[in-house]
Amino acid sequence: MLIDQLFVVLIALSLLGAVIAAVLNGRPKASVRVAFTVSSISSLLGLAITLLVFSQGQMRWELPFASPFGSLSFTIDALAAFFLGTISVVTFAVSLYSFGYADHYEGKYPVGMLGAMFNIFYVSMVMVVSSSNAILFLIMWETMSLSSFFLVIFEHRHEGTVGSGLFYLIMTHIGTAAIGLGFLLTYAQSGSFDFSSFPTAAQGMSDLLRSAVFLLWAVGFGAKAGIIPLHVWLPRAHPAAPSNVSALMSAVMVKTAIYMLIRCYFDFLGVQDAWWGIAILAIGCVSALLGVMYALIESDIKRMLAFSTVENIGIIMIALGVAMVFESYGLNELAALAMIACLMHVLSHALFKSLLFMGAGSVLHATHTRNMEKLGGLAKRMPYTSAMFFVGALSAAAIPPLCGFISEWLIFQAMLQSFNIPETMVKILIPVALGTLAVTGALAAAAFLKAFGITFLARPRSRDAEDAQEVPKSMLWGMGLMAALCVLVGVLSFAILPVLDQVSSPLVGASIADSLVDGIEIVPTVGEFSQVSPPLIAIILLAVMAMVMVLSQVYGGRRKVVKADTWDCGTPLTARTEYSGRGFSNPINRMFSWVYRPIRTFHETKHPSPYIRTEMRYTSTTEPVFDKYLYGPTEAAVRWVAKKVSVIQTGSIQTYLGYIFVVLILLLVVLRL
Amino acid sequence: MVSTLSLDAINTLAAMILLADFMLVASSRMRSLTRIFALQSLAMGGLAAVVAFETGAEHIYVIAVLSVALKAVVIPRFIDYITEKIQVNREVEPLIKIPGSLLICAAITILAYFVTEPIMELGTAITSNCLAISFATVLIGMFLMVSRKKAITQVIGLLVVENGVFLAAISTTYSMPMVVELGVFFDIFVGVVIMGIFAFRINRTFETVDSTVLRRLKD
Repeated sequence: MLIDQLFVVLIALSLLGAVIAAVLNGRPKASVRVAFTVSSISSLLGLAITLLVFSQGQMRWELPFASPFGSLSFTIDALAAFFLGTISVVTFAVSLYSFGYADHYEGKYPVGMLGAMFNIFYVSMVMVVSSSNAILFLIMWETMSLSSFFLVIFEHRHEGTVGSGLFYLIMTHIGTAAIGLGFLLTYAQSGSFDFSSFPTAAQGMSDLLRSAVFLLWAVGFGAKAGIIPLHVWLPRAHPAAPSNVSALMSAVMVKTAIYMLIRCYFDFLGVQDAWWGIAILAIGCVSALLGVMYALIESDIKRMLAFSTVENIGIIMIALGVAMVFESYGLNELAALAMIACLMHVLSHALFKSLLFMGAGSVLHATHTRNMEKLGGLAKRMPYTSAMFFVGALSAAAIPPLCGFISEWLIFQAMLQSFNIPETMVKILIPVALGTLAVTGALAAAAFLKAFGITFLARPRSRDAEDAQEVPKSMLWGMGLMAALCVLVGVLSFAILPVLDQVSSPLVGASIADSLVDGIEIVPTVGEFSQVSPPLIAIILLAVMAMVMVLSQVYGGRRKVVKADTWDCGTPLTARTEYSGRGFSNPINRMFSWVYRPIRTFHETKHPSPYIRTEMRYTSTTEPVFDKYLYGPTEAAVRWVAKKVSVIQTGSIQTYLGYIFVVLILLLVVLRL
Repeated sequence: MVSTLSLDAINTLAAMILLADFMLVASSRMRSLTRIFALQSLAMGGLAAVVAFETGAEHIYVIAVLSVALKAVVIPRFIDYITEKIQVNREVEPLIKIPGSLLICAAITILAYFVTEPIMELGTAITSNCLAISFATVLIGMFLMVSRKKAITQVIGLLVVENGVFLAAISTTYSMPMVVELGVFFDIFVGVVIMGIFAFRINRTFETVDSTVLRRLKD
């Protein structure tokens, strides 16, 4: 079979590339070239596999040796293929980008290791979505976690990087423990680690056990996806990692968790209880709202994007939750709509978030700072980067006709259909979630307005920003590809949605491809409820813009250009008089002060005369709620237990031998009796 | 049928081994420790030779010779050499006083007989009586390791444990296959050498071989 062969070639090529990149570590230029050439080729192979699976049906390949855990097999069905495709597209663009981005590490850090780990990271993600054996899956999941951990701590000489990496490592392992336990409970029922035996096993479980497995998986995969309150690793790990890596982690790695949630709930457990969907919906709402609120007040550009990832994972979870609720009431067609919306948002978030992280990486590359308050004026100095970041920001803010708009609009449409649900309480709850999502959307627009405006517009706020130059071509190509896809996926969504229906229909048991798309219009519901046509919106927008330009030229004409100073109240206008990022978000900060719990301090150096002010200092920080009230006490408790346990660790050989001796004697006696 | 002479010989040698265990616990000097250990190993070699003679299994002779050469000659000398070289004082320095230790070992021996009783009833092997003694030897060896301070006494304790295991192997199954035995000998030899070097190092770093000082390594 062609697909099998491609799959094997992909794995072999990636591993080979990793080895060569590591061996060439001493020659950074060659190493970078090899590593990222290989990763772009293998990601194209991944894309080819996706297309073949969609056209020819699923692929199955077994490792050609026996194992104690049953056959170690890989299966790529439509769902896996969709995620494989998403991962591959993003990896391809990021690989292009990395040619240029890895440059500035030469001589400072072992670039060969970056290339090697990058390839291993990609191939482990591919295998995570294609494994169809629980043990094989866990091994790949672990490989993915470890390779991304090594990538996060790549800039290990930066202060705090290793700490952030370890934090990520601990969080992801807590998740893995929960996932493993869930698999073991299922295994106890099915007697096989093969995924194909799980659905029947789940049918035989008691309600309590099934709910326990549901919760374990929600926690386990949630930790990787970054749901609140397990999100704390994202704003630490993403800024610490090299930007190309943060792009991959944020855009696609967290999606592997979404993939597994869909796989586990719809494929393995089967959605029966409505409260499961409600729980996922609630998690999604909290994550979306709090995520975007923290993103809005953040002034570190990469931390801001990390919080935005939390928000978007929340939105995806909302769609997933809605799909589960519909499914549990047997409303399969509506579940299909919600599921398609969910998958669409997975795709569009992958596209725009990788674009935005690459953009942030370019800014960092050019100015060596992530602090928005020190940037500004980059639109003139880096025109291409800023244009592409703008596309990403518009997409993230769900502006039509870009991809982010289509997915969020579909989620709204699915939620508006909640009046079909027979239960009154649920009927009330979903509109509440709808409101949350609407607020989230508005705040997201504000957050990205701030991110783009403060970073790229106005005048530079620091020397670094003033000296910024456009980044190398390969980086622009990587970003350009993603920007183009953001637009295309949005405009051509009428062609993409039927493909997503192919993915969702085996899961929810209903296909709505025929009714969903009508020509170039998207009609999510029966009758005259709502419809939208992205290409028409695009055409109208372009036409209106052209018309305004023409009209203003014709009727406005050329105005006289006056060059003079603006009225400046007698103080010279410098970058310090500009609107600051904190100033922009302060109204929101005050409005929601019960969420942010800002800590404000004001300090003034006194002068004998009350009319003279020499030095004033104002600081305002947000209270880290989760660190303080959840993780702090947890850490303290763990330390306390460890201290108590350490009593038996005396460090004396005799004591340790004594333990063994006593246990041996006891065992002998017990076994004899 | 097994001759009474051989049986008597086996039982006597086994008794000597057990006696050696108690002497090891009772001795307060480093020098006598190694001597008694050498004696015990000699008895062990003799026992193996008798078993070889009775069963006609030639490979047990080889093992008997190796056992005597290695454990009765080479290793005790090596340990003596180390003790002299690092000029450690000659006291054994027990954590549990000698009378108390002897009482505990008596209890251990009774326990060993108590534990092996059901197995000995089933036993058809000529040496099955030795099983209890081998258990006692293993446990007393461990007790030596637990209750004595010096690193070198712990090495001897480990060797006594090994003797016990060897005795158990011979008394139940007429020794393990040749390859396994050779492997075990090699293991013990290398282990002793490594521990000897280790004792040197400990001595150089801490000016003592008192292993209770090693707790400084904690944290």
